[in-house]
Amino acid sequence: MSRDGTPAAVPSGVPSGVHRTVHTPVDEAVEKPVDGAGEAGAAVDGPVDAGVPPTPAQLRSAAPGPPVRSCGPLSLLAVSLLCALGALAVDDWQQAAVALLVQLLCLPLVVGRGASPGRRLVPLAVAALSVGWSTVLAGDSDEPLRTAATAALRLVVLVLPGVLLLGWLDPGEAGDHLAQRLRLPGRVVVAAVAALGQLATLAQVWDQVAAARRVRGLGAGRSPLSRARWAASTAFGLLVDAVRRAGRTAVAMDARGFAAAGVDAPRSWALPAPWRRADSVLLAAGALVAAVPLLVRLLG
Amino acid sequence: MSTTLTRSSSPGRWRTVDLVTAAVLGVAFGVVFWGWAVVYAALSPVFAVLAPLSGLLGGVWLLPAVVGALVVRRPGAALLAELVAASVEALLGSHWGVGVLVSGAVQGLGVEIAVAVFAWKRWGVGVAVLGGVVAAVLEGVYELFAYFAGTWTLGFQVLYVACFALSGALVAGVGGWALVRALARAGALGAFGAGRELHRRG
Repeated sequence: MSRDGTPAAVPSGVPSGVHRTVHTPVDEAVEKPVDGAGEAGAAVDGPVDAGVPPTPAQLRSAAPGPPVRSCGPLSLLAVSLLCALGALAVDDWQQAAVALLVQLLCLPLVVGRGASPGRRLVPLAVAALSVGWSTVLAGDSDEPLRTAATAALRLVVLVLPGVLLLGWLDPGEAGDHLAQRLRLPGRVVVAAVAALGQLATLAQVWDQVAAARRVRGLGAGRSPLSRARWAASTAFGLLVDAVRRAGRTAVAMDARGFAAAGVDAPRSWALPAPWRRADSVLLAAGALVAAVPLLVRLLG
Repeated sequence: MSTTLTRSSSPGRWRTVDLVTAAVLGVAFGVVFWGWAVVYAALSPVFAVLAPLSGLLGGVWLLPAVVGALVVRRPGAALLAELVAASVEALLGSHWGVGVLVSGAVQGLGVEIAVAVFAWKRWGVGVAVLGGVVAAVLEGVYELFAYFAGTWTLGFQVLYVACFALSGALVAGVGGWALVRALARAGALGAFGAGRELHRRG
């Protein structure tokens, strides 16, 4: 993948792959299986070592940033899940506060100096407020504020690591690792990665559909109701285009032998999916952070 | 249709177009979710008065699973579409962090249960409604325990799940079914059973 992978394109809180795969989403997704699919063994004996481009994690490592940039997708996902699981042990606001403090102490390892994760954290703030407030209203505790603070803090402890860590996840890289390391079915993984590569394209399609509708006099009115109807019908146009695009993508993939690959010989991949030292470090440190609520509960 | 490159006889064998369409539907709904999350946040003060009613907004989250199942008509289609939609949400940064991936799995499984009850043979509005309801109930229970820490009173919890189920039946079930019909009418589903049936009938 990413022959254009300049280190400068490394994210500032936005998943890098979403942008990186913008330019040629179909080609990129399709190239991968083709490498190993056909060409009568040429790919097996070819100059693999010289030609293998760096993985996204290696590119990120080369660029400046917080230490977590060197980690691959599996350790990011695993630690996010572990931290969410660990937060389920919280049953008091003090435990949640200690756990949150530990997470905040780890923040410099995850967030770069220049990049502000603020935009990714807005939904979390809204969610914590709504959970806290609804607990005050809908709970039956003797101390509603205490219960609400516990519920809201617990939610922050549960969600925060995932929101920040998944910002470093590259969809294409995640596909490589899920298929090669976790042995998930290759066809499904590649199809999902191909679809995720169209994320940015879909945003452009939205603009095109909206512009085309405006030219035809189908703009949104002023009232919220008319805006909602306009958004719904534009979304329908987006869906129609997405399904048609999927059909074309599938034809392109099959034309390159996608369906047949992996039947006679194992499917091969353009990029390796190495588990690196940074992954082990993140997993160990993340498991400790995830265990904080449980430890505090057992000790306290 | 030019899109039926690989033919399949058994419902278990996926064609490439099945895989890609289920995944792309997931991505498209992920984009819709992104907009819906803004609406959700804007409307949440309204529900501050009676929090369990916010379940009424929940049906939208189940749409990819229902639409994916009705379009692709294969075991696992609902799960794939919903998981991809959840991944998009997680990548863009969601309310619930990595929790959306669990939600995606729970919701997808709910719809899978409903279509499995009919042995992957019925694809009408009834199956869609059942799928929406099962997925909504599973997701509602998961949310109450994972996010709201089980702090609500039993009455409120039941009301929340009931609202979610109603929304799942109407928005995801009837709405998803109507959406698939509209997609078929627009001529987008030529490679799938839903599109072929429409043309055979009329």
